[in-house]
Amino acid sequence: MSRSTVYYGAVLGLLYIVYGIVQLYNGAANWWLGREELLQLGIRAFGTYIPNAFPDPFSGLALVTVGLLFLDSLYHYARGNMKYVGYLFTAWLLSMVMLTLNVVEIVAIILDAYYPLLYGVEPNYEWSLASDPWGVAPHLVLGLLSLPLYFDLRSFIRELMPRYTKLGGSPQGLT
Amino acid sequence: MIRVALAGNPNVGKSVIFNSLTGSHQRVGNWPGKTVEKKEGVFRYGGEEIYVVDLPGTYSLTAYSVEELIARDYIIKEKPDVVVVVVDASNLERNLYLVLQILELGARVVIALNKMDLAEASNIHIDVKELEKLLGVPVVPMVAPKRVGVSELCRKILEVVRMSKRQTTRGTNVPSGDARDPRAGKQPVAVRYGADFERAIAEIARLVEGVPALRAYNLRWLAIKLLEGDSEVIKVVREAAAGEEVLRAAKGIRSRLEQKYGDLEMALIDERYKVVKRIVGRVVRGEKLLTASDALDQALLDKYLGIPIFVTVLWAIFQFTFIASAPFSDLLGDVFAALSERLAGITGIEHLDYLLFGEYGVINGIGMILSFVPLIMALYLAMSLFEDFGYMARAAFLMDRVMRRLGLTGRAIIPMILGFGCNIAGVYSTRAIPEERDRIVAIVTNPLMLCSARLAAFSVIAAAFWGYAAGSVLLSLYLLGIALAILVALALRKLVLRGPPSPFVMELPPYQMPSLKVAVTYMWFRGSLFFKKAGTVILLGLLVIGVLASTDASTLSFTSDVERSLVAALGHALKPLFAPLGWDWRLVVSVVFGFVAKEIVIGATAMLYGVPEERFGEFLVKRYDPMTMYAYMVFVLVYIPCVATLAAVRHETQSWKWAALTLAYGVVLAYALSLLTAAIGRAILLGV
Repeated sequence: MSRSTVYYGAVLGLLYIVYGIVQLYNGAANWWLGREELLQLGIRAFGTYIPNAFPDPFSGLALVTVGLLFLDSLYHYARGNMKYVGYLFTAWLLSMVMLTLNVVEIVAIILDAYYPLLYGVEPNYEWSLASDPWGVAPHLVLGLLSLPLYFDLRSFIRELMPRYTKLGGSPQGLT
Repeated sequence: MIRVALAGNPNVGKSVIFNSLTGSHQRVGNWPGKTVEKKEGVFRYGGEEIYVVDLPGTYSLTAYSVEELIARDYIIKEKPDVVVVVVDASNLERNLYLVLQILELGARVVIALNKMDLAEASNIHIDVKELEKLLGVPVVPMVAPKRVGVSELCRKILEVVRMSKRQTTRGTNVPSGDARDPRAGKQPVAVRYGADFERAIAEIARLVEGVPALRAYNLRWLAIKLLEGDSEVIKVVREAAAGEEVLRAAKGIRSRLEQKYGDLEMALIDERYKVVKRIVGRVVRGEKLLTASDALDQALLDKYLGIPIFVTVLWAIFQFTFIASAPFSDLLGDVFAALSERLAGITGIEHLDYLLFGEYGVINGIGMILSFVPLIMALYLAMSLFEDFGYMARAAFLMDRVMRRLGLTGRAIIPMILGFGCNIAGVYSTRAIPEERDRIVAIVTNPLMLCSARLAAFSVIAAAFWGYAAGSVLLSLYLLGIALAILVALALRKLVLRGPPSPFVMELPPYQMPSLKVAVTYMWFRGSLFFKKAGTVILLGLLVIGVLASTDASTLSFTSDVERSLVAALGHALKPLFAPLGWDWRLVVSVVFGFVAKEIVIGATAMLYGVPEERFGEFLVKRYDPMTMYAYMVFVLVYIPCVATLAAVRHETQSWKWAALTLAYGVVLAYALSLLTAAIGRAILLGV
């Protein structure tokens, strides 16, 4: 695993934490204090923000957890402990899960809006990025930024789950 | 014929060795009176006929599980000529604990040190000679799948048997079942428990020696077990003549030591592990290399991040469930609304037509319930993928850590996780918990797990009130269920079912690429189960409500005015009880009928309001505030389990008492929590 991968992961970790905190703040302010105005750290486009830090405290906590895992990976790497790869992989895996979730959300909401067209009636509602509650959320943007880590994690994944067997990892040890 | 017993931890390669020895000469059956598999076989070596029995895989020899009791009883009562303990060389520390316990029983032992190749590959080098010297019994390095060491093992078995026969012929004072390394001629290692314990063991052993019926046992072992308070050994001693006296004296000695050392069983376990650590320290060279699986375990089971990772995974599962199923649920809802419209008037009988397709008709309720099939399928798809990957076992391990800190057994985790699917499955799966008190606690608290039936009801409410954040709201209810289960379990353990929790050793499965085929099959299976239930119990329940909703309470004739119906009369009668919660009579009736099946709660609510599925969420938002509905969900989460779950509780505890307690605490807790949630929520969040 190259050093730059771990450092890149750490930068991503910081971004995950920042957006996680923003979502936590927005969630608390909107859910519990009824504030409509949200804190956004994105670029204004298509009538919304990219990324869109929609208010949801649990989602914020999930982002912070991924961020901490990335940073923990750097911490263990700096101490020369090989377990850093486990933290990096976990952070990457969760970021992929969240990326998938955001994509599923967009696809599902478009389907939900337009499925009535199948039987020739008006859509349930008009979908746009601006009306989508998640939209392009931090989960999607940061997930896309995490994708390149796969190339450095490939050998770890192969060792963890050998391709043609269901019996688990070989005991060769991490190098 | 020489009789050999194969013992060892699970997954150490015992079966491979058994097959290598016996080939096709084996018989598979069950242990007498038990559902545990028994494998036995015969083979010839060195001119001798050797009978081998494969004992169940165990981590120790306590009296906590059926497997442990079978293994222990066989060694004590059948007194095999040799016990071959199969040890995983790549995990010596965990395996040696069982070795010490078997040596303590006084058995003649040969160690089959299996998986030597894996140990070497993991940079673990074992000094076999030193291990032999320290344990005082022969050790045979093996790689069973490649048959490496099989002949050597057979040779050692014969040597031990012949040496034992020679000693008996010479009249050497060898206690029954004593093990000696025939070459080294050394005594096997004996765990020394510290001066206080040794004095107590000697004292009890002297007492036991005076009881003729107990002399067949290894006296030191019997004394140690009495000190530990082993229930099976106590039973054996009690049944012997003069046994009561021994028990009384042992109890006195126990109490004396307990004042100083606390839980004696734990103290003795600690002492055994000290010996294990000493041996491992002397024989293992090299530091175990970190495998990919180890590295991932370190992260997923991290002391601080393990639980947040678990919560993140749960959050992702519930968000996926809710998001992915939404368009399909809506589509199904539309189909049923159209069906209801098309079929209206088809029977030609006014009353039946009203009952089936009317505003308050059964089709409306069934449509509402069936629209949740995609939700249930999405939930199982997501859970199956994580389970297949190997994460759910790690989640159980994490929760075990929390439970153990609270003085509860981690064995309850698996039933809890199964309870997320269906509480009935959760209750029946508690059979794997050997200790009765732990089992009852796990049974009684399982209905607090948010099952898929309740999930269906909650998803409509959460979607209506919290929209895109519905997954997070559902997660909060899951977490509330887990927290309440732990609190109720704690209360039961402290107040009613006192005693230490049974220990729990868990084997973590290897990670593997999740199979989409397996996940889809599982998802389809669970979806079809839900369909079947909707067509039977739920349909019947809704029909009853339908009939009651269209029967005039005063004349008992047909009415299309639901306010004058029998069901309204029932609701109005109970309404004062629920008035502090802010419910109208329809919500009251829906929870009453939820006793039949929890899916009915939301179906009945839709029926009684006469609102079709596609407009139901919108209708609820107009009628109730979010905190009232959150409190309503808390109530439905906690109150009485469905009738099938209650029957399972009665069946598994063999007592109406526990079923009644489950019912009672559920209602009281649900009411109190719901009231509290509504009051605090409205006061703080809504300023009411």
